[in-house]
Amino acid sequence: MFSAPDSYPIDLPTFHSRIDLPYTLTPGKAAGTFLAEVKNQRIIGSRFASGRVVAPAQDFSSIDGEEPEAFVEAPHTGVITAFTRVDGNVIGFIKLDGCDNEFPHKVLADMADVSIGLRVKAEWDPGVEQSVLAIKGFVPAPDAPTGEVKPVVATEDALGVIPYEMKLDFYHAYGPYYGRMFDEIKENGRIMGVRQPGIDSALLPPREIDDISHKRTGTWKACADTGTIRACSIINMDVYGVTRKVPYVYAEIVLDGASTRMIHVIEIDSLEEAKEKIKPGTRVRAVWAEGERQGRVSDIARFEVIEA
Amino acid sequence: MALDKVGVVATAQTELRPAWGNAQHIDLISSVVTSVFKGTGLSLDDVDFIIDSGSDVLDGRSISNCGFLGALGAHHKEEARVEEDGLWAALYGVNKIRAGSGAVGLIVAYSKPSESNVDLYWNAQVEPFYQRPVGFGQRAANGVLAQQYMADHGLSADELAALVAQRWAAAAQGGRVQIDAVPDAAAVLAAKEGAAPLTELMFARPVDGAVAVLIAREDVARRVSRNPAFITGMGTSMATHSFATRDRDRLVAAENAAKMAYRSAGWDKPDAQVAEVSSSSVVGELMAIEALGLADRGKGLSATKGDKVAINRSGGALPADPIMATGLVRLAEASRQLSQPELNGSSGGAAPSRAIVHGAGGVGMQNNCVFTLEV
Repeated sequence: MFSAPDSYPIDLPTFHSRIDLPYTLTPGKAAGTFLAEVKNQRIIGSRFASGRVVAPAQDFSSIDGEEPEAFVEAPHTGVITAFTRVDGNVIGFIKLDGCDNEFPHKVLADMADVSIGLRVKAEWDPGVEQSVLAIKGFVPAPDAPTGEVKPVVATEDALGVIPYEMKLDFYHAYGPYYGRMFDEIKENGRIMGVRQPGIDSALLPPREIDDISHKRTGTWKACADTGTIRACSIINMDVYGVTRKVPYVYAEIVLDGASTRMIHVIEIDSLEEAKEKIKPGTRVRAVWAEGERQGRVSDIARFEVIEA
Repeated sequence: MALDKVGVVATAQTELRPAWGNAQHIDLISSVVTSVFKGTGLSLDDVDFIIDSGSDVLDGRSISNCGFLGALGAHHKEEARVEEDGLWAALYGVNKIRAGSGAVGLIVAYSKPSESNVDLYWNAQVEPFYQRPVGFGQRAANGVLAQQYMADHGLSADELAALVAQRWAAAAQGGRVQIDAVPDAAAVLAAKEGAAPLTELMFARPVDGAVAVLIAREDVARRVSRNPAFITGMGTSMATHSFATRDRDRLVAAENAAKMAYRSAGWDKPDAQVAEVSSSSVVGELMAIEALGLADRGKGLSATKGDKVAINRSGGALPADPIMATGLVRLAEASRQLSQPELNGSSGGAAPSRAIVHGAGGVGMQNNCVFTLEV
């Protein structure tokens, strides 16, 4: 990496970002039926034409993709075929009596007491529905009689969707260029870019290598907090996850002294007035947020039109 | 018509560090893209296409390559992203050149796992109804493999720890991995439990970094590179997603990928002096060595001690696993060992002429890719 000592950030921490995505997962018929049936403390499996039985139920064989021909009820007992311990929890592969597959689940025992071939039985958690964790885990049951797979006459309707949420936290490094840019915003309230190779106008955000020529960029340059709209759109529709109240204008603004467009917003009161006034070529200025600057794009609260 | 032969012209990589806290993805990427041309006489203008590899989940943004195009040197060029280890990106690029749709390709892979939670990255890959809720994931899969392997072959934790220590020492000597203190076997054993019977240090250590590999059609490669390593065989194979259904005493997908690569290279056996092998744990490495045919089943450890094949002279994936770039780093390391044998250290003997390169992806090394290299 080219290191440019004058461009290193001044003790900026990483930038925290969270991706928080809601899902409605579709389990399909087999898993949907299994998950619907756990409240009845039944373990639903699938039987294939070959006679092979797998539990929990699957819509397709993981070996050859065949579809099963019927649901079956698997017994609550089986043996451990493999095990490990992660973060203090024993996880084992369980092969239920009469079934041909193994599946991972929690083993509720000290690992010292667990061995391959150990007989176990399901321990249910009556408070849990619609989850494989309705089976709290499997406990050692050395004397449990061998269970049998039984035919199933009727089942609960398969669950259509399962609400699910995935939260992922990120701590992004700013790097030397974004680092200095945000640091300058925070400390000095100015927007700094770097010059394009051989040109006086600045790239915002700044970077070491010019995206277009892939040449090393030039020296730092302070840009004005005024600029010109080069593209815009009046937003009058709520979009999931966007907290800003509509209507507002999404604008791509070239700050004076820069060559690249910066994305920001312009608040408006009247749609008609906005249509009239806000268009490519309109001059705007930054309105800085009240209070202490944080070193973020949001230190600029919005842009406003410079009245002629 | 015979397919064109493809050679590795040059490679560049950043130091592999537990955290590049003061660099963005684009900083790491533009660094290797700028460096890879040094000494070749080629420039970005000569590059016909760019194939890159990384993970949207690890990067924390979807279609993350779009934001990295400028750093990749891909402005207004043909570019494609492979959401798999970088060795698959190289496979894509080699096939493009062999098929005649370009003469020079730039392959880039990068990783910044320090910016997120690696366990969650792996959990995102397992099935959400039956597996994720019970805590099954990458660590559990490797723990299960290790337990069975050690029981089947009578291996002790001490022996595994000694191999881990050997790998870290090799990486430290190579100088391309940031290592503050090389752990000895006792430290490996004393580390926190990762997934019984493996300690955390018996797992591949996630690191940040980027790697670039410049590949070219044979005529170009011979013109610009002193002693290019040619990619003579490639193979891939993927096991079922259902880990519990897979064989647990061997990596069948890695065996298949190796067979395919050797067959296309015209090798009747894995007759190489160099092997660079990926793995998610120390037992995974032993199983991969066996799957590549470098040792009989259960004898992987003795192959690591022999002098027939230099396996993971670089240290391999255990001290440095830039997830999604690990296989491409193996290609870079192996091609350097063939092209510049004078830099291989005090290994002695004749210069190596053949290498095996292995990449893996997915939970429990589900997906495998193997290259053969020859000079």
